[in-house]
Amino acid sequence: MSGEVLRISRRDFIKLAASSAIAAGIYPFMRGAPNTAWAAGENLRMWWWGEQEAPGLEKWVKDSVAMFEKETGVTIEVTLQDTTTVISEFQTASAAGNAPDIQFLWNGIYHMESVWLGYLEPLNGLISDELLKEADATVLSIYQGKQYRLGWYAASPMWLYNKEMFDKAGLNADEPPTTWEGLLDACDKLKSKGFTPIVGGLKDGPWGEWYMGHALGPNLDTPAEALQLFIGELDWREPKYHEHWTKLEQLWKAGYMNEDMNSIDLYPGMDYFGAGKGAMTAIVIPTLGKQASMLGAEKVGLMVFPAGGKGKMNNKPIRDLQGLGISSQSQYKEIAAKFLEFLHTPERVQAIWTDSKALPTDASWDGTAIEDPLFREAWKTWVVNPDAVPYISNLMPVMFWTDAMFVNSQKIIAGEYNGEQAGENAQAVATKWREQNPDLLEHYQIWAEDLKL
Amino acid sequence: MITLGKTERRARMLRTKPWTPYLYLAPVSLLMLFVFGYPLIAIFDFSTRRIRGASGPFIGLENYRQIFKDEVFQQAILHNAQLLLAVPILVIVGIVLAVLLYERVAGWRIYRTILFAPFIIAIPVIGIVFSNMLSLNGAVNELLRAVGLDFLALDWLGSAQMALWSVMAIIIWHEMGFGVVLFLARLLSLNEEIQEAARIDGAGWWQRLWYVTIPQLKDVTEFYAVVSVITMLAWVFPFVYVMTRGGPGNATQVMELYIFNFAFRNSLPGIASAVAVILFLITLALMIPLFQLRARTEMEGIE
Repeated sequence: MSGEVLRISRRDFIKLAASSAIAAGIYPFMRGAPNTAWAAGENLRMWWWGEQEAPGLEKWVKDSVAMFEKETGVTIEVTLQDTTTVISEFQTASAAGNAPDIQFLWNGIYHMESVWLGYLEPLNGLISDELLKEADATVLSIYQGKQYRLGWYAASPMWLYNKEMFDKAGLNADEPPTTWEGLLDACDKLKSKGFTPIVGGLKDGPWGEWYMGHALGPNLDTPAEALQLFIGELDWREPKYHEHWTKLEQLWKAGYMNEDMNSIDLYPGMDYFGAGKGAMTAIVIPTLGKQASMLGAEKVGLMVFPAGGKGKMNNKPIRDLQGLGISSQSQYKEIAAKFLEFLHTPERVQAIWTDSKALPTDASWDGTAIEDPLFREAWKTWVVNPDAVPYISNLMPVMFWTDAMFVNSQKIIAGEYNGEQAGENAQAVATKWREQNPDLLEHYQIWAEDLKL
Repeated sequence: MITLGKTERRARMLRTKPWTPYLYLAPVSLLMLFVFGYPLIAIFDFSTRRIRGASGPFIGLENYRQIFKDEVFQQAILHNAQLLLAVPILVIVGIVLAVLLYERVAGWRIYRTILFAPFIIAIPVIGIVFSNMLSLNGAVNELLRAVGLDFLALDWLGSAQMALWSVMAIIIWHEMGFGVVLFLARLLSLNEEIQEAARIDGAGWWQRLWYVTIPQLKDVTEFYAVVSVITMLAWVFPFVYVMTRGGPGNATQVMELYIFNFAFRNSLPGIASAVAVILFLITLALMIPLFQLRARTEMEGIE
């Protein structure tokens, strides 16, 4: 070839150009790896949370991303968020126009505020209706008929009891109390045998939120009633709505709770149960495995908190779950949706359980992989049970958690508040929130109407 | 006729103009203005808006009105004020310990290290360790019970009456080392002849401390007092956050935690900014008289 001039006719040039264009067009399909034309080379960002409560999820996320990347050629940069800043980081990034494509979302108001601020994209249309229903994220993820979150794994709050202690106290270890009087009777018998009936830790606060979620709900007919309390249509000072705090005071004053309740945090308090130092405690499903392995699964019984309410939600298990959503600012909403769909393929759903022992929430997952009867019971009653009710604490914004739920419980334990004073404080905090957030109040009112339906 | 080169002419021109020094200072001044001035202006601006994300509508002083009627904020200010009680303790005990070390008591180098060590331990570590030690059934109470002092085994962090004072004690323990080293460094730089002269004149230990040593520590004392005031107003967040989260109830709520809650938990940066402005103004109001006092002292020294 050396010294020769390469001569190409116009016709040859057109042929060459056309061949190149065709080759370029079919190349991604010939490669085998990226099987979607839109995908190759795109870079998505995903911010998530969950390893903190379900160890093993990080492996699951990394595996899922690696598999999706291999299949599509898309790259996904994942960031595990800190518990304190999950919400604020997303909102700040959204305000700055730099939101991640995929965001972890807690239920209820914890993502609804972002919906109202326009930071989240409705999933309807992006994800098939079938999957939206199957990976249901509870009614608290729906606003004005649009769903903003896809369910991921169960985080239902529940109570555990120690069957061995119940047995020793002369209680029926297979039938935990279902009424308030039954609970007081059980506490009395347990205490008389030298056991601490209820254990927990309130120093960091969230036990107060759990308690309200378990104990106020039973006095309500619908989740909307909780919202009405918050938006001022109902009043916390009505005995019905602060009775649960009066009952907490009753439990504390009777000596049915660990005396260092205000002195230790949520998880150390919970671990008293696993260590055999208490007969009953509140947990969330992802922590069931730890408590069962500490105490011995055969000694652990599951129960609904017997708050003795008079509402339609009384004695109903609570269903709550974590989820993922798509930012309204994402330039790759379709790809993000494909990734979320990929996370819900049968193999990936099964891997949630295998990798982390967190319970997937997909209706298509039949749970046959759950061999442990304790987990099976938890899954049946708190995850796929159609009678389960939403977690009402998820309807209250963070200010109500810190200034009312946390503070009320801590002050009752410290002897500074009675139930009535706790109700007054709750009313004051709700009023304060409304005054400080007039722009969000209207959305709250619409949401309350949605939840009445 | 002498003709000047271009470079020389420019150099002479710059030398002779009165604004020349300012020209040199301008780049760094602008940088400082951007780094410190802009955030300050932005915080003042934020404090007058209902911020959602990065901006929001102007609402005048509404955020301030909301803050001042909020009981939690009132408690936070009160608690910061109560924490200021630690400042005289830090100064007095710091001076006494530094003087004892200066007297070169046996093993003074080891004591100096022991006293300074808490200051270099990360606050979250201190918080976690003390949270465990001070819990109702923690190491401190176990020890007290073991020696028969059950009545002193209190719920140090879980009781509304005790929590703030417990946090204050830990802050003092942490901050004391800095003061001791500061005072000791100043003492070691003093002219020993003055001490010697006082000793020859028959001054006792207390007299030398009161009339000779302490007056010579005046500038360091003022500096340490200022730093400690700032600490108690605007640097206690990590202690409170790790040990009590402001509880039980709001028993250890402080302004920094209040700012944090509104900025990061309640998604209301406008209110957080308004509290930051108030904190800034309070700190400034406390600092200005202290600096004026110092300036007056220096002038008196010159005269």
